[in-house]
Amino acid sequence: MRKDLLLLLFVSMASFAQKSEYKVLGKVVSGSGEPLFGATVLVDDNLYAAVVNENGDYSIENIPTGKHIIEASYMGFSTGQKEIYLESKNKKQHIHVNFSLSENSEALEIVHVHGESKKTRIEKKGFAVAIIETKEASQRNVQTNELLKTSVGVNIRQNGGLGSDVKYSLNGLSGSAVRIFIDGIPISVYGSSFSLNSIPPSMIKRIEVYKGVVPGHLADDALGGAINIVLHKGTKSNLNAAISYGSFNTFQTSLNGLYRAEKSGFTVKASGFYNYSDNDYKVSGKSVVVTGLGGVQTPITAKRFNDAYESTGGMFQMGFTNVNWADQFFIGITGSDDYKEIQHGAFMTVTPYKDRFMESDAMLGNLTYQKKNLFTKGLDVNLHGLYGKRNRVVSDTNAWAYSWNGQKAIDYKGDEFEYSWGSQQEKLEFGPVVNHINRYVASIRTGVSYRINHHHKFLLNHVYSGVDRKDRDAFASSFENTFVGTRDLYKNIFSATYELQAMRGKLKANVFGKYYQQKTVNIDPYINEETNKIEEEVIKAHTKNNGYGFAFSFALLRTITLLTSAEKAIRLPNESEVFGDDGDNVVANPSINPEKSENFNLGFRFGNFSIKKHDFTISTNLFTRNIKDRIGLPIDRNPDEVLLLYENQGSGTSKGIEAQLDYRFHNNFGFNFNVSHFSLKIKNNGVEIDVPNTPFFTMNGNLRYSVNNFIQKKARLNLFYTLYFTDEFSYIPPQGNNTIGNEFFNVPVQLAQDFGFSYTFPKKDFVLSFDIKNIFDKPLYDNLRVQKPGRAFYLKLNYSINKF
Amino acid sequence: MKQQFLNLRTFAFAMSSILLISSCTDDSSPLIEEEKGNESRWITIAAAQMGTNPGDGNGGTLIYAVSSEDAKDPSKSIAPFDNGFIVPSNRTARLQSSEDGNTIFNISYAGDTGGNYSKYTVEGGQVFAPTGSEVSIAPYVGSAPRWIKLFDGDQTGAAVYVSTEHQIDDNGTPDDVTDDTYTRTEATIGVVTLDLENSLIKNFQEHIVPLSAEEEAKGYYFSRIDMPTLNAAGDKLYIGGRLSKRDPATAESDSNYEILGSKTIVLDYPSLLNPTVITSTVGHGNTNGYRSINAFEYNGSVYQANQSDPEGSHILKIDANNQYDNSYDFNLDDALGVTGAYVLAWRPAANGKAVLAYRHEGSEEGVAGAQGFFALVDLNAKTAVKIDAIPYEADFYLFQYQGFAVDGNEIYLTQAPVGKNGNMYVVDTETGVVTKGAELVNTTGSHFIGAF
Repeated sequence: MRKDLLLLLFVSMASFAQKSEYKVLGKVVSGSGEPLFGATVLVDDNLYAAVVNENGDYSIENIPTGKHIIEASYMGFSTGQKEIYLESKNKKQHIHVNFSLSENSEALEIVHVHGESKKTRIEKKGFAVAIIETKEASQRNVQTNELLKTSVGVNIRQNGGLGSDVKYSLNGLSGSAVRIFIDGIPISVYGSSFSLNSIPPSMIKRIEVYKGVVPGHLADDALGGAINIVLHKGTKSNLNAAISYGSFNTFQTSLNGLYRAEKSGFTVKASGFYNYSDNDYKVSGKSVVVTGLGGVQTPITAKRFNDAYESTGGMFQMGFTNVNWADQFFIGITGSDDYKEIQHGAFMTVTPYKDRFMESDAMLGNLTYQKKNLFTKGLDVNLHGLYGKRNRVVSDTNAWAYSWNGQKAIDYKGDEFEYSWGSQQEKLEFGPVVNHINRYVASIRTGVSYRINHHHKFLLNHVYSGVDRKDRDAFASSFENTFVGTRDLYKNIFSATYELQAMRGKLKANVFGKYYQQKTVNIDPYINEETNKIEEEVIKAHTKNNGYGFAFSFALLRTITLLTSAEKAIRLPNESEVFGDDGDNVVANPSINPEKSENFNLGFRFGNFSIKKHDFTISTNLFTRNIKDRIGLPIDRNPDEVLLLYENQGSGTSKGIEAQLDYRFHNNFGFNFNVSHFSLKIKNNGVEIDVPNTPFFTMNGNLRYSVNNFIQKKARLNLFYTLYFTDEFSYIPPQGNNTIGNEFFNVPVQLAQDFGFSYTFPKKDFVLSFDIKNIFDKPLYDNLRVQKPGRAFYLKLNYSINKF
Repeated sequence: MKQQFLNLRTFAFAMSSILLISSCTDDSSPLIEEEKGNESRWITIAAAQMGTNPGDGNGGTLIYAVSSEDAKDPSKSIAPFDNGFIVPSNRTARLQSSEDGNTIFNISYAGDTGGNYSKYTVEGGQVFAPTGSEVSIAPYVGSAPRWIKLFDGDQTGAAVYVSTEHQIDDNGTPDDVTDDTYTRTEATIGVVTLDLENSLIKNFQEHIVPLSAEEEAKGYYFSRIDMPTLNAAGDKLYIGGRLSKRDPATAESDSNYEILGSKTIVLDYPSLLNPTVITSTVGHGNTNGYRSINAFEYNGSVYQANQSDPEGSHILKIDANNQYDNSYDFNLDDALGVTGAYVLAWRPAANGKAVLAYRHEGSEEGVAGAQGFFALVDLNAKTAVKIDAIPYEADFYLFQYQGFAVDGNEIYLTQAPVGKNGNMYVVDTETGVVTKGAELVNTTGSHFIGAF
């Protein structure tokens, strides 16, 4: 497959590299002067061709002397034709030919065709990518994670309400196989305080979800894919504020503003958010009991009582935009803090936690520089860097046992009692816990791209990220803390990309190579027995790896695009896998290899079909992931074997299909539906099994209906309905045909339905929205018997101004 | 055109509803039952499905009951993986049975129900009827409890827990680390007793269990305890233990240290008070076993296996005076003629003759771990003979073996390599005659973990 592609590239490059005579360039605009991005310009019936860029410009080189016919066309517009004559004595080596096309109202079948949106453009590049636009959602009571959940192929499993632990999975691969970025910077740099749980959609411009094959500019060891959060980059002065209140005492507010001085280009950007929820929703079930004398259990419906979440954060940047030396130049600071009470561990048990919480904060300085056409036309550079500190503390100091009714529990004799392990979470070492992890983090992403012409573009990217980590248990003696090691991790990932656009934009190809370099440093203090002084043992490990891939899209017809991509992807072993984890008795394995995966996507995009006022697009993707050298812990073979080490255990495959339908009617009715189905198998010691505890079949549906001039003139009412479906799945591997008792391990079929409306007031500056989540109050579980919130109501008011 | 938009929507919803309906219509097949005569005893076969690795047993514990005649009948075939009852436990269930085989007791291990006690009446086949109310011992001994049914007529279960704390003397200067010294590691044990008949907690006690000052100064402490066993008089409870060691210089965990004499914690019963520690001079290493009962009362004394003994496992003897009988020296390396014998599970009949599962240094390394063997042991004669009538191969993995069914002098055991079919075997401990019984139908990567 790869060889064929390279051949194709050579052929196409050769065909465009003929000797230069003339250059034809110009603009293609609509009758009203709008640039017609994506329009095609042909010379002599497809002998030479170009695609018009976002500014409406095109240029075609290597036109020999003589008579030529230049033709510009664009869907929905009448075709323009001009004849030129190029003389050999002409001194000017270029000639301007401009077109102004008029809308073609006669073509009945194609009525409304607009220039492609950024979303469509990214989606058509060939990657298996889903683009989530947040503009509308940001005015509603919708969390960023909820937005992701409705996206095809993305699965989110959350261990409770707002702020609780989230696990992301892309086409069946999850955990450290999925990397999350904010503007291309790994989100791990920000820590849990600035996460998809806390960032409001109003700060986000769009979310890009790359499945399996990750483009070079997002270089990281993302084995299964990447989620990139793109924050707003606009340069127009604006202010946006929102406040929301709802069930479970949930209060959320956000403020975003940008001011730009038109003359100097001086720009100030600020955004902030505050979220709070008690998360005191009702739960019931097997483990939600009150224990009486002798341990007799009485089931109850309980309100969660130690689950509050609070997060505060903000970003402030100042600099210059759209000045001659920079498109964007900012220096700024990002700060965030979050506090989450922890009601229970991975499962809901008969011993709920009280007073256990996690608090994290981050304070990071940032620098952004972006410039298109630096020094020379086509040379774009960007740089984004962060440096700062983030801290996390887990506190669990209450030894008293509590019951699900929120009161102290009684033991079999009727007395209140303390746990033997001296904390809420059971553990083998006695005592309260206040575990601090402090990290200094840095990450720099740089990118240089050079567009030779409309056909060829080269990109070089580099991402550096480094973490220096220090652990400390406030309740352990300073003596013990002295001998706790430090772990530092530094990662450099380089990538080179070549992008091709040929055949009038019908063919798009992207070939990339990645080079991964990781350095891990383990520092363990010990006592030198000769000198009787504390010395440090330093062990370093280096890993170097290569990966490569491509994305390829070909428009078979105007409305049928073939999209295919593949990558040999790598996940580097993390610090505990290389150096072990003293707390978990895992010892170092410096010779561990990275996980590798061969990822393939094959997709089609049908559309956009426009039939009168109906618009629809259907896209589908088939995928396979073949993982080798999976990293895991060996089985518990021997209880005396106190020490374990991570090893490369086996292989795994994920195969599946996903499909999405988007339908729009006359701009006021929208429907989209997606379905995803896959199978995930792993193979260890030659035996292959279906991976349990995996929701393998999901569907989401979405309806939107708008009414203009509702109640008031120029006001607009939007109605929304969302349906989430997750098929039953089992916590344990598939069992035999006639076994009984299986239902104990099943996470049942889930069907959640949300309804909401938003009302835009006539001046468009206020938007009021109301949402009901889980209308029918169905019990929902992402994880085995860990219940999620029932029916909930939220009200939100947005205010925005775009003129100062 | 309006028609078309309706069609799309109805199509999508029709599709989802079809999928919904089809996904919840597959559980109403009739129960699979077995018959048993009045003279017969139920033999419950336990099997552990593979989780992610062959032999890990983490994919579910299945049980299936047949009559003792059927268990002995080689023409019968037993397939718990196809027809069994999946015991509700997130990881391998820790099973016990009543002495008559009519009741199965389970304490769920780990997960949301970890520590929940439940019992089932054995009705044959896959039918295990839950009886009594549920009770959880998790608040006392955690959600992954180590528990054993005491031999007191199926009345009591006992579970144990240990938590440790490393003690540091900061020499009065909390901020100066250089003069700090490690003093000892304090082990606190928790013991809970459970009324199996009425599903109630009977008693719970916690104790600090110190070792000798010399042992503690070197950094030794009880890091795991298990296998509570009643003495013959029924007035003392013995708890097996494993010692770990810290490096006193750094308080970090130590390795390659001297293995001390095997130790047992002795408590008053039923008060669970007055802990003392007794030490064997014959055996070294752990006495906390793994998943199968490790110590049994026979003829007035308690016989206890030890593990990770540098000289190979011993069967140790604790006399009616609640002290190790160091004149009783039963070394399995010597008895079996192997090196590095390691007792995986064992069970004596009332005649003092036992079936013992073991591995040794000469075991082949199979897909899940070292190969296991069975031996016939005589506690009085201190002899152990490998049972050659049972077939062995590298993948015959017995590490997670949980139990044997005892019917008079006969002991029922399961034999099947990981992922391969095997058979029931019945050992007449008196005559030494081994009978091949019903076929055990296995499934990929899975194994059998005993009979009850």
